[in-house]
Amino acid sequence: MEKTTPSVNRRAFLNTLGVTVGGTGLIGAGLVGGSQLLKAAQDPAKGRVPDTPFKTGHMTFLTGAGAVLGEPSIKGHTMAAEEINAQGGLLGKRKIETITADEAAGTDACVKEVRRMKLDAKIDMFTGVISSGTSPAVGPVAEELGLLTILTDGCTDFLFDKAIPNPKYVFRITNIQSSDGITAAIGVAQTWPHVRKIAHIHPDYAYGRNAYEHFTLALERLVPGTEIVSESWPKLFTTDFTAHITKIMSAQPDLLVASVWGGDYVAFYKQALRYGLFDKMKVASTIAFGVAPHAIGKDHPEGVLAGVHSNYYFTYPGGDRWPLNKSFVQRYFKRWNEYPNFQSEGAYMALYLLKSAIERANKLTGGWPEDEAIISQLEGIGIDAPSGYLYMRPDHQAYKDAVTGFSKNLPGYEFASWDPARIITIPIRNITAPLGWPKPGTTHNESTAAANWIKTTWPKVVG
Amino acid sequence: MAFLTIQILNSLLYASVLFLIAAGLSLIFGVMRIINLAHGSLYAVGAYVTAWLVGRGIALGLPSGWLFLLLPFGALSVALIGIVIEPLLLRPFYRRAEEYQLLVTFGLIQILEDSIRLIWGGTPLSADALMDALPIIHVGGLLYPAYNLVVIGIGVVAALALWVAIYHTKFGVMLRATSQDRRMASALGLNVGLVYVMAFGIGCFMAGLGGAIVVPTQAAVLGMGIDALVIAFVVVVIGGLGSLKGALVGALVVSFVRTAGIQFFPELELAVLYLIAALVLLVRPTGLFGTA
Repeated sequence: MEKTTPSVNRRAFLNTLGVTVGGTGLIGAGLVGGSQLLKAAQDPAKGRVPDTPFKTGHMTFLTGAGAVLGEPSIKGHTMAAEEINAQGGLLGKRKIETITADEAAGTDACVKEVRRMKLDAKIDMFTGVISSGTSPAVGPVAEELGLLTILTDGCTDFLFDKAIPNPKYVFRITNIQSSDGITAAIGVAQTWPHVRKIAHIHPDYAYGRNAYEHFTLALERLVPGTEIVSESWPKLFTTDFTAHITKIMSAQPDLLVASVWGGDYVAFYKQALRYGLFDKMKVASTIAFGVAPHAIGKDHPEGVLAGVHSNYYFTYPGGDRWPLNKSFVQRYFKRWNEYPNFQSEGAYMALYLLKSAIERANKLTGGWPEDEAIISQLEGIGIDAPSGYLYMRPDHQAYKDAVTGFSKNLPGYEFASWDPARIITIPIRNITAPLGWPKPGTTHNESTAAANWIKTTWPKVVG
Repeated sequence: MAFLTIQILNSLLYASVLFLIAAGLSLIFGVMRIINLAHGSLYAVGAYVTAWLVGRGIALGLPSGWLFLLLPFGALSVALIGIVIEPLLLRPFYRRAEEYQLLVTFGLIQILEDSIRLIWGGTPLSADALMDALPIIHVGGLLYPAYNLVVIGIGVVAALALWVAIYHTKFGVMLRATSQDRRMASALGLNVGLVYVMAFGIGCFMAGLGGAIVVPTQAAVLGMGIDALVIAFVVVVIGGLGSLKGALVGALVVSFVRTAGIQFFPELELAVLYLIAALVLLVRPTGLFGTA
């Protein structure tokens, strides 16, 4: 396939990808015109709407190491439910009630729990899920049960590539996993095109493997001629990284690529700092700042490409440019006395996405809409979110611009955050396989549709 | 060569902490014949209490040198928890089948893990002020934090102290007598209940100390206890459950094998420890130094 790809200049290719630096992005934002989220339902709902509660089941990590992401998820969900209920509930009538389930119980227990929530607790909608191990397990069950579902993470490509290639009830609001590795690779190509020797450290499970593969695939095209000099595959939820750090340093790489997350990343950077790792190489991460912002200390080194799962960081879009984000962050801080992360925003938006679809369906049909009517409104819906413009593709995978940034200590925060002048945004459609691209196991056997799409369509740049 | 030196030090650092956890687990099993599944969570409590105390200490303006005095309190708090739960929660189950003990200590894991989250929340707690109070040493162009040497030192001292206590004190004789035959020891007039509380307290103290000294080098994070428990089991499977020597040798084997795996066979990092454990089980089902 390589022979057909023309040679392109790197700068030109990054331009065609629409990469912007410095936070001037917000591509496609405001298509809907103004922030709709907090507007009270001015038009009263059409027809008769019951006032029975609308039950949601929110599954996330309530215990164990994953709870570092689970807590923000539940907080985002709760805040959205409180706001909507304060306006009378969905269509001004149905208050949202939430039952929670602990994702830490394991895949089998999660599947059982989804069944129990639907059949026993009679939930109207299922939301949440963080692990890429959980989403492909619960997704097919939700389809089988006919349970309206908006996954707020569990971002593996596998879910819609293989597990449920033709979803009817299951939607997902987070960016696809492969865009994480690709976003990090673009950040590297944009910032440090001269790196040659690359070291990797990734947790040894689906997410780490996916990040490694897609980063490497994209970088091979954006910065040809690099070589991998060291690999580390620590167990997920490891906290001792000293041996990995010494190994990485012994390989003397120019760049370390990491997808270690949550408490693992906090433990990792604290050790790496004292071993002098950050002085010896550049560091690019897919998800370093994905934890709740205050989990990162002031001791975090500056200039690290500190990814946020390519989804959302609370300082972007910043200032007054995107009032929706400003007010979301303020309300979140007021409610929880901390800043939101991408899980908070995803879980928060899942309920507003639902609200919006229900209101649209009500306008068309009157009364409380059937699930089918809500689903048809969710497909292709566009909505303004704190992170920018959110679009739900007809194939149920949400789209929002990928974003990443560089760590910097700003005086206003008690933790390291992003350098506002160096935030990188990329239109998501330019780094994900388009709608209808052949899925793995059809015309190709790559691990993801995205991998096949990159191999087939991206040129290798020169210069 | 500098890399090799650092990797050896890294292994000793990991071994120190592992030994503290596994020795406590082994001691408790040796005396009371109970496998305390909550042992890892007690280690986590030690880490959280220490990190919290250090945070309080900094907030109160304690000079960083004084913060070191807080380390024993992290360990002592865990010993205190142990002294309370042994007679109240565990003792009624010694005469029951093992399944009951496993269930009770598994329940204890859930209680401790949830308590940690309720008290300290999901955000990692750090105590790196202790690490930064000591210099960073240069080893042939590489950096190594002196605090890590302190951890290694504490591991060595703890091993020696435990050895002296068990083999060269009157208490140690009582401990071993109870371990070998509880009813005979009781018939000879030993206060077996007291020995049990003491042994459990010491075992918990070791776990708490492990957590206390490791937390400045990493951070106290949710789930750290579960991870520690699994690795501690690998250590005692290799070394032999109930043997102090086994805990020491097991900790060293696990640490050095893990480091070698990370350095030379990164793809096998997860598998290599369990391979060694499986091998030991095949050749010596009771572990290298296990009896019975």
